[in-house]
Amino acid sequence: MEDLLIEFLSNTGFALVDYRNIIMLLVGIIIIYLGVAKQYEPLLLVPIGFGILIGNIPVFKDFGLGIYESGSFLNYVYYGVTHDIYPPLIFLGIGALTDFSTMLARPVLMLLGAAAQIGIFTTFLGALAIGFPPNEAASIGIIGGADGPTAIFLTAMLAPRLIGPIAVAAYSYMALVPVIQPPIMRLLTTRKERLIKMEEPREVSKREKIIFPIVGFLLCCFLAPAALPLLGMLFFGNLLKECVVVERLARTARTSLIDIVTILLGVTVGASTQADVFLTRQSIGIFTLGAFSFAIATASGVIFAKIMNLFLRKKINPLIGAAGVSAVPNSARVVQMVGQAEDPTNFLLMHAMAPNISGVIGSAIAAAILWSFMSL
Amino acid sequence: MFGFEAIIAHDGLGISVIGISIVFVSLILLSLAVSQVHKLIGLWDKRNTYYQRLKKPQKRGDQKIPSDMPVPQDIRRASRQFKLLIEWIGEPFPLPKLLDLSEKCGLSSPHSTINEFIKCKLIIPDDNGYYMWNKQIEEKRSNA
Amino acid sequence: MSTDIQTLKLLDFFADLNFGELEQMAPLMHLMKVTEGEVLTRKGEPARTFFIILSGNFMLSFKEERSFTLHNKGNIIGWSTVVTPFQYTGTAIALTDGLVLSMPGQEFLRLIQSNSALGDKIMRKINKIVSERMPYVTGTWGKGGTNCLALKL
Repeated sequence: MEDLLIEFLSNTGFALVDYRNIIMLLVGIIIIYLGVAKQYEPLLLVPIGFGILIGNIPVFKDFGLGIYESGSFLNYVYYGVTHDIYPPLIFLGIGALTDFSTMLARPVLMLLGAAAQIGIFTTFLGALAIGFPPNEAASIGIIGGADGPTAIFLTAMLAPRLIGPIAVAAYSYMALVPVIQPPIMRLLTTRKERLIKMEEPREVSKREKIIFPIVGFLLCCFLAPAALPLLGMLFFGNLLKECVVVERLARTARTSLIDIVTILLGVTVGASTQADVFLTRQSIGIFTLGAFSFAIATASGVIFAKIMNLFLRKKINPLIGAAGVSAVPNSARVVQMVGQAEDPTNFLLMHAMAPNISGVIGSAIAAAILWSFMSL
Repeated sequence: MFGFEAIIAHDGLGISVIGISIVFVSLILLSLAVSQVHKLIGLWDKRNTYYQRLKKPQKRGDQKIPSDMPVPQDIRRASRQFKLLIEWIGEPFPLPKLLDLSEKCGLSSPHSTINEFIKCKLIIPDDNGYYMWNKQIEEKRSNA
Repeated sequence: MSTDIQTLKLLDFFADLNFGELEQMAPLMHLMKVTEGEVLTRKGEPARTFFIILSGNFMLSFKEERSFTLHNKGNIIGWSTVVTPFQYTGTAIALTDGLVLSMPGQEFLRLIQSNSALGDKIMRKINKIVSERMPYVTGTWGKGGTNCLALKL
């Protein structure tokens, strides 16, 4: 009986724990705190934070409990991450939630969404320069797309062991958009530019909103077929929303489905974030490059908007270039806030939603391109 | 390998340039396609567009004063009283002033009466926020 | 008494809203009978209520007694509830008995601030209406008149 008791006790967490587990558990608690108390992207950070707690409880290997052990509950649920099932389903919900009409009203603003993706490729180069192999560099670069599902989608393909730190970095920086972006926006624009009032966008008809997802899907996927899972679901979700005749499906996509997938994705991504990957110098590199990618993406969007103004008769407020960083709708709100600080009568939110949404499309295309290149 | 050596070894610049170019080309083509969709729909609906334009209020200065609206009998009685008030105020007159004056003069249900005048086009807007008495309708009534 | 979603869907003001957004709007809206001569809004007073006409006829008067009349279902009164300085810019009087939907201004503002997609749709409609009515508010007529809308979001 004594032997049984000793064997039992030697399999408890108290016996198996080491200092790295403790640190990771603290990281999980901090992330939960950021999500709950500070309300930084709570829909993702709370599940990720708790997932970190789940994944870093010290357990005896071969018990079939760990996320990397075949046959465990977590391993089955994690399948959706490693096989890129969850991110497209989240994009389905995003498509069913998003109103594309501001983008359709003034299509030229889509280019700002493209410009912001310069951050992805610049960071890719930076990651290569500091010694990351290409597939990991591409996964780090995609953080600059400011799109969590896209970052997880690409990382699961190219560098699955980095899913944890990349997801945490991506969502943390998305939450910090109101802190990161404004100084860059003010630095790159003059007061006169920030005061530019944009023309009210035209009304977009229902038929345009129905035709767009079909046209958009065909065009984008013909050009970048690897974007099929993400953009296919995004445009499908939007079609469900706009055609009205399948309101039940659209409602399910933007409520229950996206919530279920978010829970499963968040928990398993968190659980996969373990000490041997997170507590390394690489993570510092990932977090540093992540901040760098956000800054470059913001700057690229703003500068591109200024360049566009050289050719446009109806000037655009260059602040909206920052909304090309596809943290929807946070970066659009930041643009509104910075614009209103200069002129309380300047209503930029609806204009900023156009590059914001096209940034989602742009980052999905960028992810597809990187995946294609890395698979060659 | 670090720095430029690493970038060149892994063809980083090539991937980045081609990658961002494809992103731009995709979104440029998408924006071009989107910018044409509404024009194509507009062409398809052209006759509907003309019909809508006819239904819209006419521009200032082009307004044709309608003269073929039938005027109910009870409104004709009230119109004499309101016409006197309008002559007193002068044309073009502010509608709130007419309302106020008609209340002070003790005319019954001045609000709904004025509304009837507007519906029958006895009172018409001048597109500057003021109103006028429609003499043409009145002449048609007196000739009938 | 709150309003059902089908009633809202038929109104042009809510035409672009999806079912979920209408579900958020519906509980805020209340049916209200108005009688001939009733004053809904007074120029200069705090804009506390937003109205949508279901039936009846209304006169809106502004600066220098310039005015226009509203006769159609779906016309709105009280856009100042969501536009700073949140004071009515005109006086709205019922010319006939009618029915309106009323919504508390603060709740309306809170809703559109908390939901950017919904807020965009609503503010686009309101901007269009404001730009049509602005000449009456400012008393300036002709192209290029500046409209100083102060929106707080």
